[in-house]
Amino acid sequence: MSDLHHLDRRDFLKWSAAAAAAGLALPRARLFGAQEPAAGGGPALVVIFLRGGADALHMLLPWKNEEFLAGRPTLRLGEAEGVLPLDGTFALHPALAPLKPAWDAKLLAPIVCAGSPHPTRSHFDAQDWMEYAAPGDRSVRQGWINRFLAASAPSGASEFRALGMQDLLPRSLRGAYKVLAVPTNLDRKRGDQTLDRFEDFYGDGSGMMEGGEDMQGRREDDDTGVVESGRMTIETLRRFQEIVGDAAGGPGAGQEGGARPDPRDRRRARDERETAAASPNDYPDSQFGRRLAILSKVIRADAGLEVAGLDYGGWDDHTNAGGADGKMAARMRELAQSLHAFVTELGPRMASTTVLLVSEFGRTAHENGNNGTDHGHGGVMWLIGGGVKGGQVHGKWEGLAPKALYQGRDLPVSTDFRDVYASVLAHSFGFEPGKDFFPGHKVAKLKLF
Amino acid sequence: MVTMPGLLCALLLAFPAQTASGQDAPAPLNPRERAVHLLNRLGFGPAPGDVERLLEMGEQAWLDEQLRPAPAQDPRLAAALAGFETLELSPAGASQWVYQDYVGRGKKEEDLSDEERQQLRERRRQPGRELIQSVLYRAVLSDRRAEEVLTDFWRNHFNVSFTKGDAIEVQINDYERMVLRRNVFGKFEDMLRASARHAAMLNYLDNAVSRRPPTKQELAEIERNVKRRTGSEARASEEVQIAAERGLNENYARELLELHTLGVDNGYEQEDVVALAEALTGWTYDAGRRASQEFTFRADMHVESDKRVLGKTFSEDKEGGPGQGEAILQHLAGHKNTARFIATKLTRYLVNDEAPPAAVDAAAKAFLKSGGDLTATVRAIVASEEFWSRRNFEAKFKTPYEFVVSALRATGAEISDAQALTWTLQSMNQPVYFCDDPTGWYDTAEAWLDPGVLALRWQFAMDLSEGRLRGVKIPREFWNAVPDDAPPETWQHHLSLLLLPEGAGERTRAALASVTADYLAKKKVPDLRELGPQLVGLLLGSPEFQKQ
Repeated sequence: MSDLHHLDRRDFLKWSAAAAAAGLALPRARLFGAQEPAAGGGPALVVIFLRGGADALHMLLPWKNEEFLAGRPTLRLGEAEGVLPLDGTFALHPALAPLKPAWDAKLLAPIVCAGSPHPTRSHFDAQDWMEYAAPGDRSVRQGWINRFLAASAPSGASEFRALGMQDLLPRSLRGAYKVLAVPTNLDRKRGDQTLDRFEDFYGDGSGMMEGGEDMQGRREDDDTGVVESGRMTIETLRRFQEIVGDAAGGPGAGQEGGARPDPRDRRRARDERETAAASPNDYPDSQFGRRLAILSKVIRADAGLEVAGLDYGGWDDHTNAGGADGKMAARMRELAQSLHAFVTELGPRMASTTVLLVSEFGRTAHENGNNGTDHGHGGVMWLIGGGVKGGQVHGKWEGLAPKALYQGRDLPVSTDFRDVYASVLAHSFGFEPGKDFFPGHKVAKLKLF
Repeated sequence: MVTMPGLLCALLLAFPAQTASGQDAPAPLNPRERAVHLLNRLGFGPAPGDVERLLEMGEQAWLDEQLRPAPAQDPRLAAALAGFETLELSPAGASQWVYQDYVGRGKKEEDLSDEERQQLRERRRQPGRELIQSVLYRAVLSDRRAEEVLTDFWRNHFNVSFTKGDAIEVQINDYERMVLRRNVFGKFEDMLRASARHAAMLNYLDNAVSRRPPTKQELAEIERNVKRRTGSEARASEEVQIAAERGLNENYARELLELHTLGVDNGYEQEDVVALAEALTGWTYDAGRRASQEFTFRADMHVESDKRVLGKTFSEDKEGGPGQGEAILQHLAGHKNTARFIATKLTRYLVNDEAPPAAVDAAAKAFLKSGGDLTATVRAIVASEEFWSRRNFEAKFKTPYEFVVSALRATGAEISDAQALTWTLQSMNQPVYFCDDPTGWYDTAEAWLDPGVLALRWQFAMDLSEGRLRGVKIPREFWNAVPDDAPPETWQHHLSLLLLPEGAGERTRAALASVTADYLAKKKVPDLRELGPQLVGLLLGSPEFQKQ
């Protein structure tokens, strides 16, 4: 195991110096009005949502903290289990070992005690509000990335600026600015033919009187947005198929035809960690791994992609989260291995690429009665990228004494997630959010890049 | 016939900025449109002949027949379900069927051969596979149309999911039957209580393992036992530390308030969640492969104290039973916020993503007045003016489930194996009983209408019409809708009448005409068996067919 890591580290070190330098240069070019992507590709942002409220303290363990040890009798881990110390306070869970090279290469930066100041412990509200970046405000129904896309759209911009790398968009990408959700199981052979067939029904073709009505008085308006959605599907999916080409039919290629998996198999495979990659730099054979592999291909194709969003679900570990090898560990391993493969494959392109990991909240500082944890408050956000001030843990950490905890039970939120979003958008795209971009929130500058 | 000015007004109403004062009211739906609307909203769309039958029968008679419990009569459904073995089994019965009646008789699981292990794995999946297929068969074939539509609503409202794994594999078949179907025309409180006591829900939202923390005496006992067993002090103190942390699990209590009764942030606080979780400690079931799986109240797991929930004190059950929790459930079931929440959700489901307030008011009122009678609540929505308003006609974007079921119904599809349909719904991200989130699947366009999703619908439409779905086919009779002597240019019209009985829009008619023209240019002797499936696939993939 240690041998493999040495190899990884060498790979990283080879280009990390270049990455650090270029990471500063590219966004600046953008800031000064360069609309065309610079040679070698424009900046790209990948936002991954860990749905379910990932247990921050089981990913980034304050492993020597006394309250931590006392409050988590079955979940705590130490040297014996192979935690990977990062600094004087924190260690990575052993299942996140594939991320260690990125830390060593100063590409990886966790932000502790980050999250939403809103007190909700509802997954669904917390997710919505984090993705709409408007805690407590149910009137905002446009995702924060969608708002960025709309506000920064250059005239004649391609519809390929953003992608949801899954069948349904994460809410952060939903809204007035139309973004494609890439279907996982579209039959590749017949897919193009299908798009052609439906072009007359949805495409920009003739036969339609704009805003008019037909002979029966039936108006061709589109108040549900179905026609517009269809048009966008045809145009953008074609472009996507061109780029991804022979490599794969979609982010779940390999599933079409033949025997399809029972969803339970997928879960079992994940739980039993049968998804292990063939070699340490490969993507795991999992849906998430395949999606990142395709995304890497799209980014490397320099097709004008700026933002991609995807989800990784299942982090609601109320019971039996497990220690070094439990079900949460299996998930973390797949996540970390996928990210490692992605970062490695992008290589120098990581200079202009930023990956952001968020979850709706962290969990209780102490275990609950069933070797799991209940819904909490503050969590951890993660940044990976060439421009990131990596190799250090960001955020304010005041320990786990009762007084330091939110309502005496959860990690507090000392870094507002919106400030992280703002920081990422400023770094990647030179984008300065307007006054109302985050309703009711005044952005505080962070030094993450 | 549809009148032009009426439709125009309806459309203008949808754009208030353009509405001048003194406009005529939009034309009401004509009888045919009303029939289509009723079948769309309470029947997963019309099958061939349904519209005519409903028109003949009359709306009220149809509603009276549909909005009451009665067994399904369709012989095709009976035939489809005849081969299933596990649909009627209780959790204990299903567990016995899986683990004792087949492989492994008398063997320990670790002693099974690879082949036996594989058999067991298949056997374990069988109840879920049969359940999911039966749900699809019923949705497509049953003559109890409203029962299917409303069961689907409650299936998502009181969501449980096979993604929980293991034990739940034998629990959901019974849940569908005894919790949902049994109460779909009954009282909300009964369905709520049945869900709260069912193994599937107790397991899915972890209440079965929620308990009061152990007492000092109990910890001392554990310490003694471990020490005696292992002889290790360190081990004993470790076990004690672990045991001391066992306790309350808030998962179910929170979702019970947030998703099942009051609605999120609708009059409760974190203290209410904790108090409710404490009141429900001890609500568990007799777990295990050979156990009864029946609800049981474990006094030794219960937090014994009076609880304050929603500003009301619920005293401890003097009999030492689940009475405290029962009383809170009863209070929640009759709460005005619950009435409003259920009324809003049902109206959204049956009328419009933006639930019209007047219909919600009527439904909430009926809910409260009838003591939570679900039939009365649905009737109030159907009786509301808003239900029949033109602006709510074809205003709902079909969920993948509604799309697939309505396409199968519209084509009168014969299904000999529903597995392909299960996969279709999985690839469209809405597999039945596989929603991991306790919210259940959403039913609004916002959740399903992303650019990209239509590609899979088109693929399904073409696969269905061209006979590429294994185990599913459009029967010969379907094509009888096109008279033998009908000229090929009119085939699209005859097929449209079946698939889009409310009429196709101009763009769709033009697109179909162009496909017909292309075909006729190539073929000297046109064949309905060639052009027909193309037209049907295109109609099922048309913008009109995506709405109901």
